[in-house]
Amino acid sequence: MSVYLAVIAVGFGSYLLRISMLVLAARLGAVPPLIERAARYAISVSFAALATTAFASHLALARTAIAPAVALAVGIVAVQRTRSPHAAIIAGLPALWIVTALTRT
Amino acid sequence: MDTSSLRTQGRSPALRAARDGARAMAPWLLGIAPLGFVIGVTTARADIPALAGWLAGPLVFSASAQAVTIELLDRHAAVLVVIAAGLAVNLRLLLYSAAMARYWQGRPAWWIALAASTLVDPSAAVALDGYQRSDDPEYGHAHYAGAAATLALAWLASIALGATVGAALPGGLQLELVIPLYLVGQLVRRVDDATTRRAVTVTVVLALVSAAAPLHLGTVIAIAGGTFVAILTGDGSR
Repeated sequence: MSVYLAVIAVGFGSYLLRISMLVLAARLGAVPPLIERAARYAISVSFAALATTAFASHLALARTAIAPAVALAVGIVAVQRTRSPHAAIIAGLPALWIVTALTRT
Repeated sequence: MDTSSLRTQGRSPALRAARDGARAMAPWLLGIAPLGFVIGVTTARADIPALAGWLAGPLVFSASAQAVTIELLDRHAAVLVVIAAGLAVNLRLLLYSAAMARYWQGRPAWWIALAASTLVDPSAAVALDGYQRSDDPEYGHAHYAGAAATLALAWLASIALGATVGAALPGGLQLELVIPLYLVGQLVRRVDDATTRRAVTVTVVLALVSAAAPLHLGTVIAIAGGTFVAILTGDGSR
């Protein structure tokens, strides 16, 4: 029962987080200025935190940091050259596989 | 995009905008589908009722929070710890909610209630791009609907597939890095001013320093620190 309670509570709480500022904006006519300013950077800051945490956890389990580091660098250069975020996967993933194969032997 | 064309040109402009949204979501699915599959497999193997594990998909609707919730439940953590950790990981949704508020203001309550249920990293990013592509808000709304529906279908289907088929993807593919790589790709494109650069640098440093923080609080600490720097040093012009 406590498992269901936890899942429902996390789900309900997440929904409240999702809708909170939308309801506040509907009631007050606008989001509070401080939150509005924070929201402008929400995607960049959140993506940076999520990506760093994911790479850090991957490195904690990986035998070597070289392949993910090369994949990251190749991905960044590819996006800078093409201005397309897809390039990070298209270039970064093969780089990850190649360097992993090379460092394994 | 010329928005007047949206109203006058061709058949069903809303459908076209929704299709654009679905198409914009497609690259995200490359990482989301394997991730959902892996979460499905993890959920099926976890020591929790299958129904509870399945419910986490549509209810939590966030890969990181769902993974944390399932992992802690599997380790028989206290309910309050599970709830606190799951919500801490999802705190960023508050900022996404604020980011969408200016675009969704004036929409019917049912629409906002429904749209909010699928507001998460990929849908927020695709939505903001959609609203920036056109100065007709109707285009942005339909664009979001198409993107969010595609995301929801793919997410739930991949979790279900992982939970039922149970066959693991080859570990050597390291597909767990697809999403982080794509997040970096999105990030590189968005870091286009000094304030964002400062905020992202602080976020990355804090995320690395607090990587071992309990309850997966490292992500929250990093987001809070980066946002604080952005507010403190930004000129508000962005």
